[in-house]
Amino acid sequence: MADNKQVLIGENLFDMSGGEPALIVTHCKSCGDYFFPKTFTCHNPECKEKQVEDTLLSRRGVIENYSIMNYPPPPPFVAKDPYEPIVCAAVQFPEGIVIIGMMENMTADQVKIGMEVEVTVGTLYTNKNGEDIIAWKFRAV
Amino acid sequence: MKDVAIIGVGLHPWGKFPEKPWTQMAKEAIDEALADAGVQWKDIGFVISGSQLWGGRKGIYSGTYTEEVMGNVGVPVVNVNNACATGGTMLTVAAMAVASGAADLVLAVSADKSAKGFFPALPVYHEEPVPSDDTLRWNMGLPNPVYWALEMRKRMIKYGDTEEHLAKVKVLMSKHGKLNPKARYQREFTLEEVLNSAMVTDPLRLYEICATSDGAGAAILCSKEKAKQFTSKPIYMMASALGSPLYGDPTARIPVVSINPKPGVPVISESWVAAHRAYEEAGIGPEDIDFVELPDNSAWHVLQYIETMDFCGEGEACACLNRGDFAIGGRIPVCPSGGFSSFGEATMAQGFAQLYEMVLQLRGVCGPRQVEGAKVGMSEVYGAAGNNAAVILRK
Repeated sequence: MADNKQVLIGENLFDMSGGEPALIVTHCKSCGDYFFPKTFTCHNPECKEKQVEDTLLSRRGVIENYSIMNYPPPPPFVAKDPYEPIVCAAVQFPEGIVIIGMMENMTADQVKIGMEVEVTVGTLYTNKNGEDIIAWKFRAV
Repeated sequence: MKDVAIIGVGLHPWGKFPEKPWTQMAKEAIDEALADAGVQWKDIGFVISGSQLWGGRKGIYSGTYTEEVMGNVGVPVVNVNNACATGGTMLTVAAMAVASGAADLVLAVSADKSAKGFFPALPVYHEEPVPSDDTLRWNMGLPNPVYWALEMRKRMIKYGDTEEHLAKVKVLMSKHGKLNPKARYQREFTLEEVLNSAMVTDPLRLYEICATSDGAGAAILCSKEKAKQFTSKPIYMMASALGSPLYGDPTARIPVVSINPKPGVPVISESWVAAHRAYEEAGIGPEDIDFVELPDNSAWHVLQYIETMDFCGEGEACACLNRGDFAIGGRIPVCPSGGFSSFGEATMAQGFAQLYEMVLQLRGVCGPRQVEGAKVGMSEVYGAAGNNAAVILRK
């Protein structure tokens, strides 16, 4: 609902300053690895220096894997009535990290492995107070 | 270090018992284990219990409350939680207590009443500046079976595993479970019935995902020397190993929302680590195992664990399944108890359903589901967030 109050699923997850949403990740300058959500250290046990900085991830990736939630998820998620199956995807980004998210405007028969997608922001569900719970999502490009 | 023996086991049947407190279920399991061992409650010198997720404060300190139910005797009580790997973890702690000489007779007990349906989120009282994976995934609508479904689809792409293979796993587990009086579901499912059950998290169907149950189990452990006082046929612990993940694990393990896959790191690496550590500890290999109780939270788990535990090569599980390798009487019988598929999962107690079956199989008293000539058995439990425990027992 366009008029609903929008509540973010959490802070420090994505950045809208460039006009389009991008995921906030931590990049380790020492070993090159990326982490999401952002964190305060590098988790690579082989990495000694662990010099980390927050940065924005590429906006586009490729669907590596997916599942369809054919049943309404448990609380706190509030499912639509009637329920519409949700497509969940694991998206591989050029930086090497794979991020799990829900697909925006995509049905079970449309999702394909290898499909190029971009990061977007959308409503996961509307809670009992009529607030839209907002998170990163993916959509086909 | 002292050799560790198991001299008594007890198991409350698995199911739903809304009128029965978990403490009562725990007491029945303990009473059976005490009687099995020929030990009195007052002889127990150390208690290890599984901390529950849905039991509130009483469930967290389950061992402390169980000790009160049995009658306070002032013994050390340790409450353990390693997610669904808690049962196996408790056995490791119990074995350490015996092997170090810290305790003479150790009671390990776990009772649980799992949440119904999909496991729901637990309350978070101190959210961090960046939300935890668990907060994110529950809000996104990602209950546990989604993670298993993601891994199963990888197998379908990589090895050509099919929906029919998944259904065949359920059929096999049900054939074993129908022979077990402690199982919740004691009937055989047909392939057609499984393939017609509701698709829950594509490609996993309803009957291919384990139910959630109430259950309780107990075991009494002591040194090999001490065991002679009670029985001429103790069961010996050859290994009890814990595992945690390796960096770069390609698995989407519960509850992550991101993965950093690295080349050469095995899928479900915490399970791979624990299984191989157990083989090393026992000084034997998969070819020496007569049957396995693995954590079949879903049909995917069976196919993956068979390979992770080295009972066949990568991508070969379905060929072995088709050959009948995993049936009682086959090359490596899988879950002769009927598995989680026939029991449902009582999270923290589940390792004890496996232990009970292993001990009975090694004693040779399983009747129609007996694995003929079973001398060595192995089990593994798989917990969220990268928890794992593997156990090897022998006659």
